[in-house]
Parts: sequence; C-alpha cells; structure tokens
Amino acid sequence: MATVELKGIGKVYEGGVRAVQDVNLAVADGEFVVLVGPSGCGKSTTLRMVAGLEEITEGSLTIDGRLVNDVPPRDRDIAMVFQNYALYPHMSVRQNLSFGLERRRSYGSAIRRLVDSGYRAKARGEDGEIAARVADAAQTLGITPYLDRKPRALSGGQRQRVAVGRALVRDPKVFLFDEPLSNLDAKLRMETRTELKALHRQTRATMMYVTHDQEEAMTLGDRLVVMKDGVVQQCADPVTIYERPANRFVASFVGTPTMNFIEGEVRGDTFRAPSVELRMDPTGPRVSGPVVLGIRPDRLRPAGAGTGRLRAQLRVLEHLGDRVDLALMLDCGTPLVCRTAPGAHLREGEPIDLDLDPADLHFFAADEQGLRLA
Amino acid sequence: MPGQRTTLGQLLRKALGLVALLAVVWAFARVGVREFSRDPQGESGGAAPITLTVMHWSGDAGQREDDIVEGALAQFERQNPGLRVQRINPGDAASFYTKLQTMMAAGTPPDAFYIGSERLAAFATMGLLEPLQPFVDADLAALTPPADAVRLDDYFQATVDAYRYDGSITGRGELYGIPKDFTTVGFYYNIDLFRRAGVPLPADDWSWDDYVAAARAIGALEGCTGSEFVTWPPMLRAYLGTEGLDIVGESFDDLRLDEPEVFAAFDRLRSWRHDERGTLTSGKSKIAEGSTVFLTGTVGMAGPFGRWVVPSYRNIPSSAEGGFDWDFAPLPRGTRLPDMPQSNTVLSAAWAMSSRAEHPQETWKLIRALVSPETQAQLSRLGLAVPTLREVARSDAFIDPTAPPRNDQAFLDAALVASVQAWPATSKFEPLFKSRLDAGLKTGNIPLRQAITEFENDWALESSSPLASGDFEPVDWVLWRNLAALGVVALLASVAFVVVRGRGASFTRAEERAGLALVSPWLVGFAIFMAFPIGLSLVLSFSRWNGASSLASAQWVGLGNYAQLIGHDDRFLTSLRVTAFYVLLAVPLGQAFALAAALLMNVPSRAIGFFRAAWYLPSVLAGVGVSVLWRWVFDGDAGLLNTVLAPVLALVGLTPPDWFGRDAGTFGPPAFALQSLWMVGGSMMIYLAGLKGIPQDLYEAAAIDGAKGWRRFRSVTLPMLSPVIFFNGIMAIIGSFQVFTQAFVMTGGGPGDLTRFYVLYVYNQAFEFYEMGYASALAWMLLVVVLVLTVAVMWGSKRFVHYEGMS
Repeated sequence: MATVELKGIGKVYEGGVRAVQDVNLAVADGEFVVLVGPSGCGKSTTLRMVAGLEEITEGSLTIDGRLVNDVPPRDRDIAMVFQNYALYPHMSVRQNLSFGLERRRSYGSAIRRLVDSGYRAKARGEDGEIAARVADAAQTLGITPYLDRKPRALSGGQRQRVAVGRALVRDPKVFLFDEPLSNLDAKLRMETRTELKALHRQTRATMMYVTHDQEEAMTLGDRLVVMKDGVVQQCADPVTIYERPANRFVASFVGTPTMNFIEGEVRGDTFRAPSVELRMDPTGPRVSGPVVLGIRPDRLRPAGAGTGRLRAQLRVLEHLGDRVDLALMLDCGTPLVCRTAPGAHLREGEPIDLDLDPADLHFFAADEQGLRLA
Repeated sequence: MPGQRTTLGQLLRKALGLVALLAVVWAFARVGVREFSRDPQGESGGAAPITLTVMHWSGDAGQREDDIVEGALAQFERQNPGLRVQRINPGDAASFYTKLQTMMAAGTPPDAFYIGSERLAAFATMGLLEPLQPFVDADLAALTPPADAVRLDDYFQATVDAYRYDGSITGRGELYGIPKDFTTVGFYYNIDLFRRAGVPLPADDWSWDDYVAAARAIGALEGCTGSEFVTWPPMLRAYLGTEGLDIVGESFDDLRLDEPEVFAAFDRLRSWRHDERGTLTSGKSKIAEGSTVFLTGTVGMAGPFGRWVVPSYRNIPSSAEGGFDWDFAPLPRGTRLPDMPQSNTVLSAAWAMSSRAEHPQETWKLIRALVSPETQAQLSRLGLAVPTLREVARSDAFIDPTAPPRNDQAFLDAALVASVQAWPATSKFEPLFKSRLDAGLKTGNIPLRQAITEFENDWALESSSPLASGDFEPVDWVLWRNLAALGVVALLASVAFVVVRGRGASFTRAEERAGLALVSPWLVGFAIFMAFPIGLSLVLSFSRWNGASSLASAQWVGLGNYAQLIGHDDRFLTSLRVTAFYVLLAVPLGQAFALAAALLMNVPSRAIGFFRAAWYLPSVLAGVGVSVLWRWVFDGDAGLLNTVLAPVLALVGLTPPDWFGRDAGTFGPPAFALQSLWMVGGSMMIYLAGLKGIPQDLYEAAAIDGAKGWRRFRSVTLPMLSPVIFFNGIMAIIGSFQVFTQAFVMTGGGPGDLTRFYVLYVYNQAFEFYEMGYASALAWMLLVVVLVLTVAVMWGSKRFVHYEGMS
C-alpha cells in the first residue's frame, strides 16, 4: 500500500486549453479519496494523470515517495477500473483477470521455457501463482462461476465486478476508479457502492475514485475533493463538506435537495431580505454587509401559524413516502425547498410558517466566488 | 433573417428539382421523338429510304480509314438516292469482332461488314454469311452489267480464294467475301545495320541461309540483335510453307507436326533463338514486342510482318536525319531441298454480307462500291495494305517511289506465289497452337518436342470431345420461357397476396404498399439486368451456343459442358491452378499490406489527409492504363524492377526473373500479386475505419496492464479488428478469383497458359472460341468454387472472429 502526492498538478492541452489547475493533494496510505464535481471539472483528467494515461504538464506526482511524472502506466504499480470496464471482449473472464499478471511475469520467455528445464519449473510455479491469485480475486468478488465466460455473456453488474477483479488481482499500490458505477442502474449502483466500501475496508488499499454523483462521493469517500473548472474547491471529509462547505458552489453541489439561498444583508445581528427578517445566533459567526444566506432544506421545519420565523407560500407538495419535499416561495419571489416529515395540515397554495435553528444558517459572500464567511 | 434564408433555400431546392424533372422529361421526349419519327418499314410506301448498316474496323490508320470509308459511303448515297447507310466502327479488330458477335446474337447484324479470312470458316459454319457468287454471276449475266461489277479475274487469285469455304476447307467452295485489301509477308530490314555488319542486302529470292547469316552477322555487332521473328501461328505456317510443309494435311484431322521435316524446321527456329546469342530476339521482352522492336534501330530485321507496319515505320527518320534507312524483303526461300521455289502467304480482309440482310440486292450494291477501284486506291495510300485489284495495286496508288519501302513490288510478286492458309471452323485451334508452341519456340520454357506433344494432346482431346462432334437437340426455349413466366407470375401473385390480404391495420398495409412502390424501380432493374442474365447464363451453361447466331440455335447438352470441363479440359485446371496460386499470394499479402498501411495512416499527423488520398489514388485509376504502366515495371529485359534487382542479385550470383516470359510459371502470378498490392487503398480505408472503431479505453487498459507494441497489437488491435479482417479477406478472395484486366492487358494469359487466370479463360471461351455455353458453365463453376471457399473460410474463422457485442 502506498501514498500518492499531487503537488501543483496542472494540465494544459496543446492549443492552450487548461483542464486542471494547481491540484495539491496528499492521499494517505489506505485512504479512499473521491474526486467529485460536475462534468468537465477536471476530475477525470486528474485521475488519468495519476494513472499515466495523460501527460502531466505542470507539477509533480509521487507515488510512495517516487516521482512518477514520466513513468509509463505499467510501471506505476497502479490499477484502474474504467467507466466502460474496458474488458477485452475476445478473452474469457479468467484471461481478462490474468492478462496484466502475464505481462509482468518474471519467467515469461516461451523459448527459454522450451529449452531450459529449470526455467520451465520456475515458470510453472509462476503459472500456479497467477492462477491462485485469479482464483482468490474471483472468490472475493463472487465471480468464480463466470471465469470461463466471455464478457459479452455477462450482465452489467458482473462485468463491473470483473473490471474490479482485474484491478484487485494485481494487488497494486493504488486503485484508480473512473466513474465505475455510472453504467449501472440505480439499484445495482447502490449495492455495488456498498460492496466497494466493504472491499476497501477489507483490503485497506489506497484508492482514488472519480464520480460526478455527490451522494456516491459522500458515502464512499474518507475524503472528498470537490472540483470545478479544473480547480479544487474543497478537500475534506464528507461531514465537513456537508456541514461547512467552503463556498456556495460546494454548498449547492453537495446535498439533496440543493441548499436554499437567500440574498440579503446583515446588519447587527439581523439578516434582512425583502420579505425576510431573521435574528441570528448570537454565538455564531460575526458577519455584516451584503451576504447570501444558505440553509439546507432538511433544517427548515413547518411551524404552527404565526409562530415561524419565515413565511412562504406552499406551491407544490411532493410525497416521497417517508418524507415530503415542499416547494415554497417567499413573498419576494425567492424559491425555497423544505424537506420534512409528512403532515396532514399541509395544503398546496396556502401560506406556511417555517421555523429554523439559527445555528444551521450558512453565510457566503455575495460576490462571484461566494466564499464561506467566518 | 432565418425565415428569409429558409425561403431562399427552399426556392433553390425547388428550382433544382424542377431542372432535374425537366431534364428527365426532355431526355424521354428526345428519345420518343426520335423513335416515333422513324418510318416504320413499309408503312409509308416505296418512297421510304432503305437504311443499310455497315461495320468496319480501323487499324493503325485510325481516323483516316474512317474518313475514306465515310467518303465512299457518302458518294454511294449520292449515287443511290433512296439508300442510306449507317456506319459503325467499334475501333480495332478485337472490339469489332466483339461488337459484331453481340449484334449477331441480338439478331440485328450489320448488313455488310469486314471479315478476316482466318474467321471465315467459323462464321460461315454458323451460317452468318450470305454466299456472294450468285450476285457476282448475276451482274455479269445482265444485259448491261453495272459499271462497277465485280470481276473476280481482276483480283489477285489468292485473295479471292481466301474467302471460299466448302464446309471443311478454306480456299475452295462457296464465295463469302469480296476482298478489299491484303498483304503478303516478309522481313523489314535495317539497311544501315546491314552495311555496318558488311552483309549484302536481302535479294527478292534470298533463302533462310542468307537470312540467318545476316542475322548472325548483325547480332555480333555491339548491342544489336539479328532479327525479331514473331511466332504468331499464321507466321509459323508461312515459315513452314517456304519449306513446302504445313502443320496439317488436307483437313485438320491430320496433324503433321510429328513429321521429321516439320519438326526439324521448327527446331531450326528454336535453335536460332535459344542456342545462339544475338541472332534472334530473346522472345521475352514485353515492352518492345513484335513490330515495335524494329523502331529501336538495334534490330537488323523484323518479321514476318505484312504491310500493316508500314505507316508506323514511315515515321522513322531516314539515315540522313539521324534515324536509319529500311526496306522490305519477302519471306526467304526454303532450303530443305535444293532450288525450293518462293512461297508466301496471303492475309486479307474482305467485305461480307450478313445472311440476315433484309435488302441483299442493295447491300450487294454497297459492297460493290466499297471494293471499287477508287476506294481501294484511297485505302492503299494509307500504306496499310495492298489493293486486291491487280490494276490498282500496280498503279501509283500503291507503288509509291517517294515513300519507303522502295520494294513495294515485292508484296505483289509474293502474292503470285502465295497460298491461302486454311483454318478450321473451330476457333480453338489457333489459340491452342499458339499457347503450346510459344512455350517451346518463344520462351523455351519446355522442350519443343514436349510442346508439340502437348498441343497434339490438346487438339486430340478437343476434337474427340463429345461436345465438338455430338449432335444435340435444340434448347427447348418454349419450356424455359414458360418456366420463367411461371416464376414471374408466382412472384407477382405472392406480392399481390401480401399487398391485398396482408394482415395488420390498414395504415400498416398502406405503408407496405408504399414501400413496395418505392423499391419497385430497383426490383424492375434487378429483374431485367441481374436476375434475367443470371438465369439465362444458368440455362446456357447446359447448352452449346456460339453467341453469334440467335439463341434459337443453341443446343441442349445437359451436363455436357460440366463433364467436359471437369474431365477433359486441361486448360480449365491450369487456369484454376494459376488463379489459386495468385489468390494464395495476393490475398494474405494484400491484406497484411493494407493493414500495415492503415496502421500507418492511423497516426495522427497534419499531413495524414494527403497520405490517405495518395494511398487510395491507385484504386480509382483506370485498370487498363495502370496495367500498361506495370508492364514496364515487370519487363524482363528493361523493366524498372529488374533494372534495380539485377545489380543486387548479381552480388549473390543470381539474375532477376523474367516475370512474364520464361519464368512466368513461377513468377507470373506473384508479379500480378505484387502489382495488386498497389491497389490496397480500398481495403486500407476499411481497416482504417475499423481501427478508428476500437474503443480507446481498451488501449488504456492494455497500457496499464503492461502490454505495448507487438503485444498490444496482438492482444487488442488484431482481435478487435477481426470482423473487419474477415470481411476484407472474403472480399479479397472473391475479387482475386475474378482477376482479369491486368492479365488481359499485360500478358493475354501467356506465355502459353502460364498466366491464364480463370476469368481470362472464361473470356477466351466466350469471345474468342464462341463457346458461350461452355463459358457460362465455367462462370458457374467459378461461383461454386468461390462459394465453397467462402463457406469454408466462414466456418473456419468462427474461432478467430470476435464481434464486440458489448453494451
């Protein structure tokens, strides 16, 4: 197992298009780091630079203390699971698993095998070793029954396992995953997510994982790297990301439904917007001037008439069984979403009072960057 | 504004559509007007002009011969109001015969046409020619014979005899053509080289001893060769004739090739060429073959040729202008016996009348005009041939002291001692004879004795074939027509049934009907241009049909053609072997080459578009022109390839192969395979598309797995490309079995049958031997061979072809 360190990593394509800028990240041994962000944010490019599939144009990359900027993929001791699995369609599952190992044999010369009996014995030993590792990996992933099938005879989930198995069997220093679940249906995606998490617990391997799905990122990652436009926005554990997003982008990207934002102004200990006036937590952050107030939908609570801190119009009510999402609108026209427990007193088209805990308020700068204030 | 732009675009589209529609209407209207304005025969009374059709070829004189015939016809039309003449000239003699044959088969032969004496027996046997003696006699018996009545006594006797055929032998019997011009043969010689070698110029009564002495003396000069001696069958027979010999006796049942005198004469010729250095040309050069070698100025004599080379030789600058002087000498006298008399042979062309001519009297009038002294004199001035009318031949129209050769008189004198060469009615004799004797005499690939024996076997096999001698019932065309009609009716009925009684909602049926209506033009085209010919060729493959007389003359031989080609046709097996050899080389080599090229073309580069176009370019060039160029690459003596190979191979003591000459058995098909590599552009493009279709992440996975270079190619590229390789391979196999153009242009199947590819043999059978039925059987046999092979490849490749089939 190993550490991976990215220092000032950047990617500029021929023609001057910049895909990634100044990524600094130290992945600890056994850590599961998830790169997450909307499409085109540079997360895949970063991962591919770690894999060696993309040339690193700026900065340095070290794996286990060794600078590998110019080391070809095969010599970086990494394994990668691709979005489309990239299984060799003409090989059986067994061959797919062993292909990488075969390429790394110490006793790989077919000619010496023929003429040198000592060499032949060692090569046979190695054959057995490879077979054992393939069997092991297959056992772990539960794909032993399919070992002699071709990939086209497998379901999407099974192919996905084979793709993981191909990485697992190599026992590399670092596992790289490039959106490995995005080709699966929702149910299978959830199951596989759990299995991947378990696999990480079991192997304690260093893993870097790319996804655009924030939920997947939150559930899988020990640490999340949220990226946008080639720049790292925040790098922290899931709880911190959720509770203390570094800026408005991170705040809106993480969490479902998306965080509510209200533009307004803080004067003294009061936040004012055209139709809102909120007393702030006196022990909370000290801010003043124009701000954007953020509040997660699940921190808004419907309150009895006349008792809430906010008053809004209930426009649409979405039942989700265990909860309801309320699409609301403030008098000033700002939309809000509230997630709450189902209740009989809610009627579409009627005003509703909302209550909240001042400690749950997030404040962001009102400028373009929208940095978290205090 | 977008609205405006759309309107403009729509307007443009409508305008273009309208133009296209108008063009179609105009084209149909034009054809319609032309067709309907024609006077239906007989309907508009006696005033309607009669249209006669004449067909001729133009040799080396090209346009000028055209003009002369055109002029003669114009004059004829002026003198005969009410008669119109339509002239057809398909080009050279080969195209002429193909066209003639097609027209005859269609039942619309031209009324009057050229014919060479060598084809007379074949055409007369098929009943395509009208006997002309009655017309000649009627003219002379008339109270006042027409001014241009044909008086056969005025012609060189041998030229007239050449168009007589009695059903088995040419030279006697019914008269089928009025000769328009002729030639006798001999050698053209380079006066300057004779002077340099210090040998006397040929006299008119020179002998083969004089000939070979001169050839040896000139061959001893630096860089010179004594003589070119062509081994065309008529010339070989002319050569034997000087010794009082021939390859056959009275008929073609009694070959005389085994007689010691005949063999000795041939062996003398072989020995001059192959046992001596410099006496005769090597017989292997393809660049300068036949008459053109003389133009180089390094060959003492060239022949035996007739008069036809004179127009091109007249372009040789005289000695004073830096070229050389030349003249003509008739065939040397024989030396087998003391005081052998002079002998020569007559080659000629005549005007013949179709037996299906609708207006024989008018056609005869036309023929009279075309062989008139005036026309003959005009044609004679072209220098290509000798007038058949003795008066004209002796006039200054032929004897022209101002232009070489000086010895014009020799052509005429030779005519007096010349005889007619008879050829059998089957046109197979000559090609068989040529292909075998070439191997013995020209290339020296096999001993002369063996060549002769092989020819005798071929001919015996041919003459004893049940197909050649048997009497067969005519094909029951009524039956086949009814069967075909039945098939069509059944097909239409089933279509109608589907349309009328089809299940499903009415809109589905409407959709079906619309679909059928939309594909119907293609269906009609397919039925007429594909299904019908395919079906006809299948029926024909069970019949014997010469392709020149109407289909009604076809005879039903059942499986005879197939039995013949499997059991009695060595050339079938030879051509199959030659073709298989070619396919075996051309397909794997070509595919490897195309794949390699595609890999190169897959490299991202700014100039790649240029290179792709450059590689593809040869595939769009005309096959014939390209083949002519390739002849220069593979020429044994002076070809580009051998010029490069010779010094390299010399280092290890080898000489480069004579690709299409002596070594054609081993190197001919490989040479064609090499040439085919030039044409891989099409396959390359398909491979390139296949390469582009391989998912990039497979290569990335391979990079991470540690496969690169050859391993990556073997483990990723090749398997992922296997469906494309399979497709290209099958196409290449089918295409290679059909190789034709290159061989047709570059070697004609020779020497012997060493490069006779299958389709070339089919062509020979159909268009040279007039065996359409047999050729059809050959074609179907090829289909079977290719089909079996394709199925075998499909079956055998299952394990190696991986269709991706991934989601």
